[in-house]
Amino acid sequence: MGEESQFDAIVVGAGPAGLACAYLLAKAGKAVLVIERGDAPGAKNVTGGRIYAYALNLLDKDLLDDAAWERKVSHEEIMIIDGNRSITMDYHDPSLTEGDESLQSYTILRAVFDQWLADKAEEMGAMVVCGIRVDDLIQREGRVVGVIAGEDEMYAEIVIAADGVNSLMAQKAGLISDIKKETVGVGVKEVIELPAKTIEERFKLNQNQGSARMILGCTQGIHGGGFLYTNQESISLGCVFMPQEIVQHGKQVHDIFQELKMHPAVYPLIQDGETVEYSAHLVSEAGYRGMPAKLYKEGLLLVGDSAGLVINTGYSIRGMDLALLSGIAAARAILGESDLSQIGPAYLAELEKICLLPTMRLSVGYNQLLDIPRIYSNYPQLAIGVMQRLYKVDGQIPQNLKKQVMEAINESGLTVWQMLKDGLKGVRSI
Amino acid sequence: MSRIIACYKWVADEADLKINPDMSVDLSKAKGKISDYDKNAIEAAVQMAKITGDEAVTLTYGSKKAKLSLKDALSRGPSEGFWVNSEKAEQADGAASSKALAAAIDKIGDYKLIICAEGASDTFARQVGPSVAARLGIPCVSSAIKLELCENELKISRKLEDGIEIVAAQLPAVVCILPEINRPPIPGLKSVLDAGKKTTREYKIEELGLLESDLSARTETIDFKAYVMNRKNIVLDGETAADKVKALVGSLKKEGII
Ligand SMILES: Cc1cc2nc3c(=O)[nH]c(=O)nc-3n(C[C@H](O)[C@H](O)[C@H](O)COP(=O)(O)OP(=O)(O)OC[C@H]3O[C@@H](n4cnc5c(N)ncnc54)[C@H](O)[C@@H]3O)c2cc1C
Repeated sequence: MGEESQFDAIVVGAGPAGLACAYLLAKAGKAVLVIERGDAPGAKNVTGGRIYAYALNLLDKDLLDDAAWERKVSHEEIMIIDGNRSITMDYHDPSLTEGDESLQSYTILRAVFDQWLADKAEEMGAMVVCGIRVDDLIQREGRVVGVIAGEDEMYAEIVIAADGVNSLMAQKAGLISDIKKETVGVGVKEVIELPAKTIEERFKLNQNQGSARMILGCTQGIHGGGFLYTNQESISLGCVFMPQEIVQHGKQVHDIFQELKMHPAVYPLIQDGETVEYSAHLVSEAGYRGMPAKLYKEGLLLVGDSAGLVINTGYSIRGMDLALLSGIAAARAILGESDLSQIGPAYLAELEKICLLPTMRLSVGYNQLLDIPRIYSNYPQLAIGVMQRLYKVDGQIPQNLKKQVMEAINESGLTVWQMLKDGLKGVRSI
Repeated sequence: MSRIIACYKWVADEADLKINPDMSVDLSKAKGKISDYDKNAIEAAVQMAKITGDEAVTLTYGSKKAKLSLKDALSRGPSEGFWVNSEKAEQADGAASSKALAAAIDKIGDYKLIICAEGASDTFARQVGPSVAARLGIPCVSSAIKLELCENELKISRKLEDGIEIVAAQLPAVVCILPEINRPPIPGLKSVLDAGKKTTREYKIEELGLLESDLSARTETIDFKAYVMNRKNIVLDGETAADKVKALVGSLKKEGII
């Protein structure tokens, strides 16, 4: 440690990214301080609800044993909504929940999970201080040497910006400018309490198993989608929207979300439940394109959401596992590189090695696909329209299938030409 | 240098209370916190110690849950934190709590001033301060909104229904403060970090010369239910704004509010 430094590392933000980094640094004997603005880790954090276990396994395989999970995901579901109609696809495979633990995924609640991970980091010797907001970085000659919180200054060899989407630390370091509205979505979410038995009955689940559902077509044509995750004794139901489209749409986010809750295929799932938590949060939507051009500055590394590390494929959101991975990569770089000025490049190398950057690059296609506005209204309408015709038996001579599909296409407002183009884009992008 | 002891209680955070449909109250998910007014008591002790050059310390009587409170209390400025640890505290009433606290204060020794809040934010029974004073055989002044030290006497402003009374008390004394006395600041980063380095002391009741049976409560909570306050739904008529105001004032007077 340098003369002035009170810590080897200061981590700003006790989310998965910051805590993973702090955990490993403390485990290696470094003096680490984690500063979190919430009154407790996870107090203010919002996520949909599913985390992939491989990332936690990579952090420390011992952690898998008593992680603060809700349910192990045994059912992967996609729901398509148009008006009051819906299609739900349910992929169930026993191997989703059997065998190698590290290949499975779990639903979680952040208030519980983040606190648990913070406790683990503290057990390793990290110091986690809550209820303190970091206001600024201390920079000298282009180098970050510490942080400012209120009237206090604190110095460290390296600062890890793990303060989430729209990172204030990254802004102060000049690595990102203020948020661009087309790169983030607004997520709203309710946690609805229900007895475990009721959840298991409604979703046809075994004990401790859960479903993860993405919902398409629930955003009234706005770029976005819904999600539903089953927890032990609650359901996390939410929606993500592109903010600028909401403004044009004229409807309130809250109202669209209420309509989703009241949808005839959704309401029976949450009926009689009690909403115990309502939250809203930004989610990075731009994938690789939305990442800052530089993920470090001398004395500072960006990890997790502050580095834009989120992949939204439309059928799943991955942010927490990537946050953990980047935290691990940052810790490896810090521990492996003794030359302070070389930690940044070493971090990038670790991000490549841990397959995070390659994965982000691959996500570009998905984002192009998800840019197609028709995905949020016309295609759901088409799918439902086809179903409606397939299952309608009215005693009349049935029309041939091709004609029925064409009718559904016309009704959905799509043209064959557009579909071909979108299809080609789809195939190219994935 | 003698001690100024701030007493506090670790209570369930009312923000986490859940009311069941049958009006019973679910405390199972409630996190703990230092009772709100006790934060004023701690701040008052810290401020007073700064002036007198004495040492501000904190004292709590609580179950093992209260261990979490020590760092929080110390991040507010006192130099040492004392904790009487007993599961009995979960069922304590004012008589039992004051017994435990008085015994601990005796043990800590060399005290000049004991500061309590007028009441705890969960029960607000207003028993502990006066009972502690009685057990220690020292004066007690309640409803304090200002403390001033003159020589070996404490000048205390008391907020009464219709005025401010200023009294002088011989030290050592117990003072029960009202929240108006100060605005406790939110601890900063350095204060929180420093708190981790300060000394904490845990007392078992035997060390205080007490028996389990000494700390049995003499009042018992039989039931704990939520209370619904119905709105009166009074609509005031009146031609002009002045009429309406008149009607409002009349109505408030009738209710005994003003
Ligand atoms: C609605 C929604 C649904 C999602 N669904 C999923 C999902 O199902 N699966 C998935 O893997 N990902 C999902 N994500 C993404 C995922 O939640 C994030 O990618 C992940 O939380 C990023 O972790 P992080 O540690 O980088 O940041 P965060 O979890 O945001 O943590 C940042 C922390 O920093 C603290 N902080 C911020 N500023 C300061 C400051 N100035 N001083 C001190 N502390 C500060 C915050 O309080 C917070 O605790 C979803 C996101 C949203 C919004």
